[in-house]
Amino acid sequence: MGVLTVQMLLSNIKIINKIKDLKVVIIKTGIFMSLAAYWGVILVGTFITFN
Amino acid sequence: MEVFLPIAQVFVNPVEILLLSAIVGVLSGLFGVGGGFLMTPFLIFLGVPPAYAVANEANNILATSVSGSTTHYLKNTLDYKMGFMIVIGGTIGTALGIYTFTYFKGIGKIDTVISLAYMYILAIIGTLMLVESLREIDRAKRNIVIKKKLHVHYWIHGLPLRMRFPKSKLYESIFTPILIGLLVGFIAAIMGIGGAFILVPAMIYIIKMPTRLVPGTSLFVTIFVSVIVTFLHSFNYGSIDLMLVVMLVVGSIIGVQLGQKLGEKIDSSGLRALLAILLLVVGIAIAYDTFFAEHAQTEISSISNSDLNFFSKFIKEFSNDMPFFYGLFSIMFAISLGVGAAFIRRFFSNFKKKILMKS
Repeated sequence: MGVLTVQMLLSNIKIINKIKDLKVVIIKTGIFMSLAAYWGVILVGTFITFN
Repeated sequence: MEVFLPIAQVFVNPVEILLLSAIVGVLSGLFGVGGGFLMTPFLIFLGVPPAYAVANEANNILATSVSGSTTHYLKNTLDYKMGFMIVIGGTIGTALGIYTFTYFKGIGKIDTVISLAYMYILAIIGTLMLVESLREIDRAKRNIVIKKKLHVHYWIHGLPLRMRFPKSKLYESIFTPILIGLLVGFIAAIMGIGGAFILVPAMIYIIKMPTRLVPGTSLFVTIFVSVIVTFLHSFNYGSIDLMLVVMLVVGSIIGVQLGQKLGEKIDSSGLRALLAILLLVVGIAIAYDTFFAEHAQTEISSISNSDLNFFSKFIKEFSNDMPFFYGLFSIMFAISLGVGAAFIRRFFSNFKKKILMKS
């Protein structure tokens, strides 16, 4: 196997890992946003009820 | 098929209540959490007024905690001394809780307060549980092991009047369990829950009791707290409905046994995230109900005494004429159901062992 092929393989692995990391980041952001929206509804609802 | 609850004055479907309490029981058995903070909102959704849902769920918790505690007593996994210290705080907390309940009932805001309390408790527990379980899943995937410190000292460990607790092998200030009991009793009185979701982490992380003694002692404390809550609700407001209690107790005792068996077979750590989502969904449903839904007046059905069957008439008259003895009867009834369930369970487990030995 030539040096170029090895380098290409390594860069492919790096790209796959980047995509995996990106997926995790997106899921985590989604969960965080949902929780923030959830708490937003509760807090705003409480505020409106007591006003 | 609907049944009229003579005290709560509403019609309910007994099959729905039995099924729901069994499902909540399975979840309690599977995850080791008390089902109170799920069952009371479910009762409210089924049309039981919040003040009645709280009182009757407290009586149901009494039966299930007696059943669980008897099992732990038979296994000798109970620290009575520590339990009694927490009960002292629990008694004061319950009295304060009932006083607060009376205040909000007096100004006509008790239903809103109960709904808001549930919404926030479910939101807090759901969020913490979801974050923790996702973190655990993430760690497991990456094979990260976190070393925990052996001893972490908080301000609560520096309190005076220390006492030895030989069973837990602890030398602790008596104020630590009393303060924890105070908080649990207060919340139990207002929300009709056992408070295990506060008590269990507090016993492990703050008091630092050995984990094998925690479930039994927590259930032991819950018995006393729910006895006081049941009695005070029954005596002050006459809100215990034995018809509803029977349905709740039967469903939850069967459910808890099923849940515990299921827990022995499957790994529930991955399912914890699902429970967290369920809590959050119930929390947002309560939020919707409290903030946005148009409040249809709960149908309070007025049925004359002559239309009630013998059992309903007896319950109603007993509650009205002798509230003190009715409260005592509700407590004894729940305790006997709980002890009975524990002995039946032991009988079946011994029977199973004998059969396995023979074969």
